[in-house]
Amino acid sequence: MTASRLYARRDVPFELTDINLTDATDEELMDISSESGTGLSLDEMHRVKEYFIGKGRDPTDVELQSIGQAWSEHCCYKSSKVFLKEYVFGINTRQVIDRGDAGVMEFDRDHAYALRVESHNHPSAVEPYGGAATGIGGIIRDVLCMGAQPIALVDPLYFGPLDLPFNKLPPGIKHPKYLFSGVVAGIRDYGNRVGLPTVSGGVWFDDGYIGNCLVNVGCVGIADKKDIRRNAVKGPGDILVLVGGRTGRDGIHGVTFASAVLTKESETESRGAVQLGDPITKEPVIHAVLEANERGLINGMKDLGGGGLSCVVGEIALSGGCGADVELSKVPLKEDGLAPWEIWVSESQERMMLSVSPKNLEDLLHVFKKWDALATPVAKVIPEKVVRLIFQGTKVFDVELEFLTEGPLYCRPCSIASEKRPRKERHPKAKQRYDRELLKLLSTPNICSKEWVIRQYDHEVRANTVIKPMQGKIGHWSHGDASVMKPVEESFRGLAIATASNPYAVGIDPYRGGKTCVDEVCRNLVAVGARPHSMTDCLNFGNPEKPDRLWMFREAVKGIGEVAKALNIPIPSGNVSFYNESQTGAVLPTPTIMGCGIVRDIRKCVTSDLKDEGNIIAIIGTTSPEMGASSYYRMTKNWSKNVPDVDIASLKAGIDVVVGGIERGAIVSCHDISDGGLAAALAEMCIGGDVGCEVDLTKLGDMRNDAKLFSESNSRWLVELRKGKEKLMPKDRKAKMTKIGSVQGDSLLISSSDRTLIELGTDRIAKSFNEPLWRLMG
Amino acid sequence: MKISQVKVCVLRIEGTNCEEEMFLSFKRLGAKPEKVHLKQLTGTDVTPEEKRSLSDYHILALPGGFSAGDYVRAGAIFAARMKSRLSEDLVDFVKSGKPVLGICNGFQILVELGLLPAMSGVMSDVPEAVLGTNDSARFECRPTLLKKVNRGSCVFTTKIPVDKISMIPSAHAEGKLMFSMENQTKILKELEDNDQIVFKYVDPEGSIAGYPWCPNGATDNIAGICNREGTVFGMMPHPERVFFRYSHPDWTRNPDGPGDGRAFFESALEYASKKL
Repeated sequence: MTASRLYARRDVPFELTDINLTDATDEELMDISSESGTGLSLDEMHRVKEYFIGKGRDPTDVELQSIGQAWSEHCCYKSSKVFLKEYVFGINTRQVIDRGDAGVMEFDRDHAYALRVESHNHPSAVEPYGGAATGIGGIIRDVLCMGAQPIALVDPLYFGPLDLPFNKLPPGIKHPKYLFSGVVAGIRDYGNRVGLPTVSGGVWFDDGYIGNCLVNVGCVGIADKKDIRRNAVKGPGDILVLVGGRTGRDGIHGVTFASAVLTKESETESRGAVQLGDPITKEPVIHAVLEANERGLINGMKDLGGGGLSCVVGEIALSGGCGADVELSKVPLKEDGLAPWEIWVSESQERMMLSVSPKNLEDLLHVFKKWDALATPVAKVIPEKVVRLIFQGTKVFDVELEFLTEGPLYCRPCSIASEKRPRKERHPKAKQRYDRELLKLLSTPNICSKEWVIRQYDHEVRANTVIKPMQGKIGHWSHGDASVMKPVEESFRGLAIATASNPYAVGIDPYRGGKTCVDEVCRNLVAVGARPHSMTDCLNFGNPEKPDRLWMFREAVKGIGEVAKALNIPIPSGNVSFYNESQTGAVLPTPTIMGCGIVRDIRKCVTSDLKDEGNIIAIIGTTSPEMGASSYYRMTKNWSKNVPDVDIASLKAGIDVVVGGIERGAIVSCHDISDGGLAAALAEMCIGGDVGCEVDLTKLGDMRNDAKLFSESNSRWLVELRKGKEKLMPKDRKAKMTKIGSVQGDSLLISSSDRTLIELGTDRIAKSFNEPLWRLMG
Repeated sequence: MKISQVKVCVLRIEGTNCEEEMFLSFKRLGAKPEKVHLKQLTGTDVTPEEKRSLSDYHILALPGGFSAGDYVRAGAIFAARMKSRLSEDLVDFVKSGKPVLGICNGFQILVELGLLPAMSGVMSDVPEAVLGTNDSARFECRPTLLKKVNRGSCVFTTKIPVDKISMIPSAHAEGKLMFSMENQTKILKELEDNDQIVFKYVDPEGSIAGYPWCPNGATDNIAGICNREGTVFGMMPHPERVFFRYSHPDWTRNPDGPGDGRAFFESALEYASKKL
């Protein structure tokens, strides 16, 4: 079946088709939707049809394509907005300077920082190197177009198991090892070339990501407050200047590709939806944009991301209360012969749109010429809220912006999946000793050292990274919890950056899991001495048209919002990625949280490696036998519904106690307790410090020893106290500090009630921790 | 000349990306650095106010990065552009005893230009060494320990005692210094005799060691070399990243004192202010 009788090719020297929607049957409307690749639903096609009947004419292919882009899930958040509004919008807006392509927060009196994290999942699943690289490119532009100098990147990644046997690989799916190496290489080659340090992230491996890996990318930038710009035109008369890369056929229908489930045909059908990155086009564009902006030549700017020109022109104009007349033939192309609709929706990389006053145009073009970066005036801002396109003298597009950008909003059905039988609790047998269990935990891919990845990224270019991702004695590295940037030359104020996610907890109990993710990102920031200040999230879920997937999403968002609200931490930007499904089902529900914290004086920061023998080790917070989703239970193939909850009063008190202790110089090293519980956290602290410790867990309370060792209860930190300074620790009964032992010797020795639970040489645990990823990746 | 009068040209093209920290390292010590695009020296696409001449400066610094994407070979494109338009200016600059610094990509550029190791004359016609792909075949961002072996010729390291071990971090994919196979022994001996070897990668005990202490597999663990006069100096690791103590990776263990990189810039400025 095809709707070809409804297409009328216009007699012009380029490709232009009028589409007769008036006479189309419902069936034909759906054919048109799928043949055009726009993915519009029948209801949405009816809305388009009525709009054009009201205008008394048929839409052109350019118009239909443009609407398809604007109304895609990716661009208008039609399934998620209702929940985001209810739970996460509007927290502590007093501290938010702007929420545009990136959120903008106050850093100090004169400076602001911008932050955002987003997904590049589907492109990376089809073409890992290019997909990941262009993800970085896009997130950098999001921060840049707020007027901020990008200063740091983060990359949380999620893959199937690296040792997956090839015969278990579903058809059309690429092997996790191939995807992992490709993605890391893409991030490395783009991030390093463009000169930005990659300072935080994480890698998670699970069967749930075999069919659809997740590649999230985040960026943070810094700006003088006076240089902050909105993603909006100033007013009628402004010239829109397209800068950066040329426009080509790569990246057509990226957003509609992102708004559908991956299939085994995705490779062949959607390869063209993946854009190509070019960091050496981007790098001078960054310089030119920042130079021109500093000189006051730019009124507002916006990144060309999903939907390309078709989205950016309408959005930047409408945000300033205007419309635009576009001369589409002026757009610089990679090759001749592109149809107007292709130019209009292409998502070719490295492009930005600047809104410029006519008097500044010449100076602006000079700056770009000096940097050998393309800059082309393509449109004029007009007072009417309408966008009109002229291509080689023919009008090919004329649509009111309010219709175009006011995409549909859905309140789709959501309900908990009905389980035939509730899953049975299954607990491991208690043991005398846990040496083998700890070594095995430390070598699981989710816990083991990520040095193989981290050292391929330049994490200190720009020389602002004062607390680095690998911490410890030279040659003895362990993971830190957060990195700290010192972004302003004349100030010791620091910006801490951390990422967190716990897809396992979210999978079992999305509400508690959502809360756990926020708790974890706060713990990470606090562990270096930062006060949590803002967060941004990338919410990776399955198909929202399935009620159980959407229920997961709603519950997770509710949990995230609840903790953020209680701590008064705003979420000034964010991203939702649905349809992360393939033939093997949906991915684990994965909210990635990137948090930023303020460090008052970076010279007070601490790292996770143990420092000096004789110092006391204490735990802050309460340990409970909440073993659901724990690394220990997953490793031993046990299961519990009891996922760690967050007690907000304890979390708040814990933040104050730890940050206070660090600022007063009482704490010399600190590590949050997360994957692998207390035992794994303590092991990592020993590995980084190349020293041992002796602790006694009797005082943690009455519970099983494996819970004491491996529980992942929230709001807990391990701290090393400087000898003689212990009294300086702030006290709060809601965040109890329990002294459990001291730094000494060259073994990790853990006992409880006079029984040794673990005794292992630091060298031995370091080996288990350090080697696995090198062995798997070579 | 006072240090405040020393003008430093921090030269960049597209893809240069360590210029800010290089610029700041000179500025913090009171000198007058300026970030200059190569086109400002060649006079292409610039206004008269933006035009600069190399001879206006006392020190030339080539920062790290991926100039022109490092496509072809690291530093090759930047070097070719300089050689075709600025050869005479460069030779005059070096001949007048003005210091030239190349860090990371800047070192690769100096080698591609023939300004290092400069076995015969100021600038060789073809490169006499190469910075090849690391033995690990990966980009390596890691702290590296460098032992100073230069006996005094290099003007960028006069404030660093001989045999001192400095922590200067590396971040590169092509840093394996190599010479032509047939002449290697002869070249190494000449470099040694001329006091042109400045730093070697070592382990914490100060001994020559393999990966990861030597991140790239360089010949004889050489991390940095200078010309015979000691005024042109290039190295793979990044002193500008450790100007301050708190950018050392383990500073929370040893928080006191300056960063190990500061002495490079102090040495160069002292030389420039006394000798130029």
